[in-house]
Amino acid sequence: MRALIAAAIGLAAALALVLTVTAIGAPTGETSPEPLLTTVPEHP
Amino acid sequence: MRRKACLVLLAFAVFCAALSPLLRWYAFPRLVKVPADRYQTMVLEAAPATLIDYGTMRAEKVPKITIVQTLKGNVEASEKIEKNDGDSSRDVVVWDGLSYVQGPDGKLVSRIPERYIFDAHSQEPVHARGESVDGDPVEREGIEFKWPFLTEKRDYAYFDAQARVTEPIHYKGTQRFRGLDVYYFEQTIPWTEVPLPKTLPVKGITPQSIAGTGTTRWYTTVRKFWVEPVTGAPVYGEEIHREELRGGTLLGDRDKVTAFSGHVKMREDYIEDTVDLVKSQRVLVLLMTSYLPWGLLVLAALLLALALWLEARSRRPGDPAPATDRDPEPQPANA
Repeated sequence: MRALIAAAIGLAAALALVLTVTAIGAPTGETSPEPLLTTVPEHP
Repeated sequence: MRRKACLVLLAFAVFCAALSPLLRWYAFPRLVKVPADRYQTMVLEAAPATLIDYGTMRAEKVPKITIVQTLKGNVEASEKIEKNDGDSSRDVVVWDGLSYVQGPDGKLVSRIPERYIFDAHSQEPVHARGESVDGDPVEREGIEFKWPFLTEKRDYAYFDAQARVTEPIHYKGTQRFRGLDVYYFEQTIPWTEVPLPKTLPVKGITPQSIAGTGTTRWYTTVRKFWVEPVTGAPVYGEEIHREELRGGTLLGDRDKVTAFSGHVKMREDYIEDTVDLVKSQRVLVLLMTSYLPWGLLVLAALLLALALWLEARSRRPGDPAPATDRDPEPQPANA
């Protein structure tokens, strides 16, 4: 019985971690202030 | 004490075993995406090339044509589309792009702006207001600029912005390119009538004035991409590109004149920069699809083995019986 509880805790922790991280997601950031280029840049 | 350690190890083993598939098949498709705020430039050159002089309407050999391509993620536009879409979980990327072509003297040859809207995870096109090429509304099918993450060895539908058509781009094999295994794709667009660019290099000459003479613009290209399959990012590209003006009174007694002809290739410093970027991003994707899932599975197996070993040791017949909390049995008192 104790082993089952320990396994359930492990499973729940994995689910909680993945669901939380995916719900938070990555920050979207902001549109770059750099322009659409009309001159040839010297380097990348 | 050993019992407790066994249970803790078992819990960690299940945690790792469960995390492994969850990372690969739940987190990866949701977390790995093209960032909405990406800003990227690319320089391509055709040296030498043939270019029309709109003043004389004659084709001329020039030493070099340069194409500056900018892709700029428009975060505000992507958030607006996501809001209007009704599905808040969908990640949309809006790329405002500009292909600016300049001649050897640095003067404008043509400029083609476009807006490309796509799903950040699958790179499937998303149809929304503003999707366009050179100011004309379009509805793309297939991919453009970038392949999906975990690119497969198969043909893809690729959108051609000049002709505004989607044609297959064929997988032609795996090659080694600057330390990376890449998939080589090739697409041929046969001679097709295409619209004249809205911006032409000579004042007074407009697409309408050329069209009024009955002259039409035709285009063919062989497009080649070397794509790193984990990220789906092209690390190198070439295009054998030809354009002609055909018919109409503008050409006098000629049937056609070459408007542009050249073998367009990425500039060397941009190849190096792209390869470096793709190598670093590739590791991040592999972390989610391979390194972490397999690492966690191995760790889970080790933890489980350790838990079982500890449990077996605690039950060995030679070992002293585990202490219990029960009171000792009462002994008969001898008077």
